[in-house]
Amino acid sequence: MRVHKLFRKTRFSFFALFGVIVLSVSFLSIRTVSRELDEEYVSNSRSIAKNIADSSVDMLLNRNLATLQSLIDQFVEIESIRYIYITSDTGEFLAHTFVPGIPEEILASDPSSTETVERSLPGLGDFIEVGSPILSGVAGNVHVGMDKELLGLKIQRAVGQQMYLFGIILVIGTLLSFWFVSFSARPLADLMAFAVNLAGDGKATGEEDVLGRDDEVGELARLFTHVADGSARGDEGT
Amino acid sequence: MKQSKPGTTGGTPPPTPTPPTITRRSLIGSGLAALAAAPWAKASGEVPRPGAAPHVRRGLPQDDEIVLGVSCAFSGPSRGLGTELYRGSMAYFNQLNENGGVNGRRIVMKLLDDGYQPDPCVANTIELMQDERVFLLFNYVGTPTVTRALPVLKTFRDQQMFLFFPFTGAEPQREPPYDEFAFNLRASYRQETAGLVDNFVNIGRRRVAVFYQNDAYGRSGWAGVREALARHGETIAGEATYTRGTQYSASMRAQVEILLDRAPDAVICIGAYQACGAFARDAVDLGLHIPVANVSFVGSENMLQLLQGESSDPNSHTRWLVNSQVVPSYEDTSLPAVQEYRELMAQYDPPPPDNVERITPNEAYETFPQSFVSLEGFVNAKLIAEIIRRMGSDPQRSGIEEAVFNVRNYDLGVGERVSFGPNRRQGLQRVYYTVVEGDRFVPLTDWEASFGMP
Repeated sequence: MRVHKLFRKTRFSFFALFGVIVLSVSFLSIRTVSRELDEEYVSNSRSIAKNIADSSVDMLLNRNLATLQSLIDQFVEIESIRYIYITSDTGEFLAHTFVPGIPEEILASDPSSTETVERSLPGLGDFIEVGSPILSGVAGNVHVGMDKELLGLKIQRAVGQQMYLFGIILVIGTLLSFWFVSFSARPLADLMAFAVNLAGDGKATGEEDVLGRDDEVGELARLFTHVADGSARGDEGT
Repeated sequence: MKQSKPGTTGGTPPPTPTPPTITRRSLIGSGLAALAAAPWAKASGEVPRPGAAPHVRRGLPQDDEIVLGVSCAFSGPSRGLGTELYRGSMAYFNQLNENGGVNGRRIVMKLLDDGYQPDPCVANTIELMQDERVFLLFNYVGTPTVTRALPVLKTFRDQQMFLFFPFTGAEPQREPPYDEFAFNLRASYRQETAGLVDNFVNIGRRRVAVFYQNDAYGRSGWAGVREALARHGETIAGEATYTRGTQYSASMRAQVEILLDRAPDAVICIGAYQACGAFARDAVDLGLHIPVANVSFVGSENMLQLLQGESSDPNSHTRWLVNSQVVPSYEDTSLPAVQEYRELMAQYDPPPPDNVERITPNEAYETFPQSFVSLEGFVNAKLIAEIIRRMGSDPQRSGIEEAVFNVRNYDLGVGERVSFGPNRRQGLQRVYYTVVEGDRFVPLTDWEASFGMP
């Protein structure tokens, strides 16, 4: 029994180490995935905004707002893009995808700014908004809003997959640790039984098994026998 | 109103059997493959069915036929528009074909349903051009669909394909770079909205708001209102939108409340009959008691049917309606084309097409004896037949433009003469205004008396 107590510490160390690895890898992974997805989303959205800005110059100059609307309607079909709006150089909203109307928060914002901003629109959700100027802003600006919830879901999915993998490793590791502990403990248990018997009546059972081993357990058994023999000779001499 | 029934078009002989169509189904690139896979993509390959309309194409063109390719809404919330436009055209073509057709050739229509959705319309247009080998495209319905089909015509410009008389007043097919691929008969939304704004401003209703379908069609009308108001030194007083395909059962409370906050004197709606009907209903119910105008695309009779169908007081939701039209009233029998239209509609009473996929069998549609939409389909058919007649016995696409440009001062019988030219690709310019009286829309004669400020 004492032998198993000894290996409890090994098991505890194993799980503690695994926990540290899982936590640190998960933390790093969440940060990395989040940052990279975030950057990718923003980068893609900037590309889309720039694409719309480049494509819309002629439409704006020709007052062809129907085609402009048709253009942004196609882009808003992309999964992560939730809204697009185009403002003129004077800040007038020339085309947008909002239903039932343009949110007050967006009406109140500076339409000439193309900085990346985070928005929380009541009833709609949380968004990252990027912008791109049309003809350096003299013809207007394009703004593209990406759904942060969808981004969060993608991060969760990516991290969830990692956790699933860690879970499988943990189960396999636990089974292996049990097997390893019981495999390692068996010679020690034999040695302990040998020593107990030796200390009792001086006749150990399983003597040949333990004494015949060529490892440290065998050496200890032989040492115990030698000590026991020496002790017996001392007793006889007194 | 009359319940639709499958069967032959009244008074017409049974169709000449033609073999089932086997289309090539060739796909042009992987993108088109995806489009072609859309559920609306195809309604060809039909086997002729007993009782089917005889002047609807079911196979590849025959020598004695001229095939017009049609992609429009025969299903979904805007099916009434495609169906009535088709019925009006069929009334004319039935009579024409029974009397020998045009220069000995029957005019038939190849019908594909796009459900008023852009991608199916693109796929249908490619199919009509590549597989069905139609002579020209005709009677398309809607701005979001047409604006996406126009680049297809430009892509295949070597085929010299033209789109005739689309049921939309939007600008894209009236302006470069796509104007050279289309001929319009009706007045534009810019003209309709300008007329509405001018009349509202004239009676002191200067704060005009817009309720519109949030797509190319709505934006086209929105732009028209904006321009017209700018000429009066005004801006749009408020705006609210809805999503294309919204049904009459949907609530428009949010939209009405947005506009109530802006306290407009009038609202101009740029939408389809289901959503605009819902808006008109909720506007009255929520106390927005101001004129609510609709442009011609709305489908006046379809909207009226919805608004009057459910209420104990049929006119409770229609008091404030004023709809612009691009054809004269079908009640105006002083006009020869209206007389002819009424006679032929009564004679043939064309049923809705029964050879278009995705029309659920139990989705009954009630046709109208007359309507502004079917009258437009009728005059469209009348003019296209005249243009084909002018092309002689062996019409070629290369001769289409010349034939159209030869239409000068042509009396179509609608009280306004039609002219086309290289810089004039829209035949009619006039806009009419109507209000509800009883169970129909009648001409509006006095704006001040009907909608003057209190």
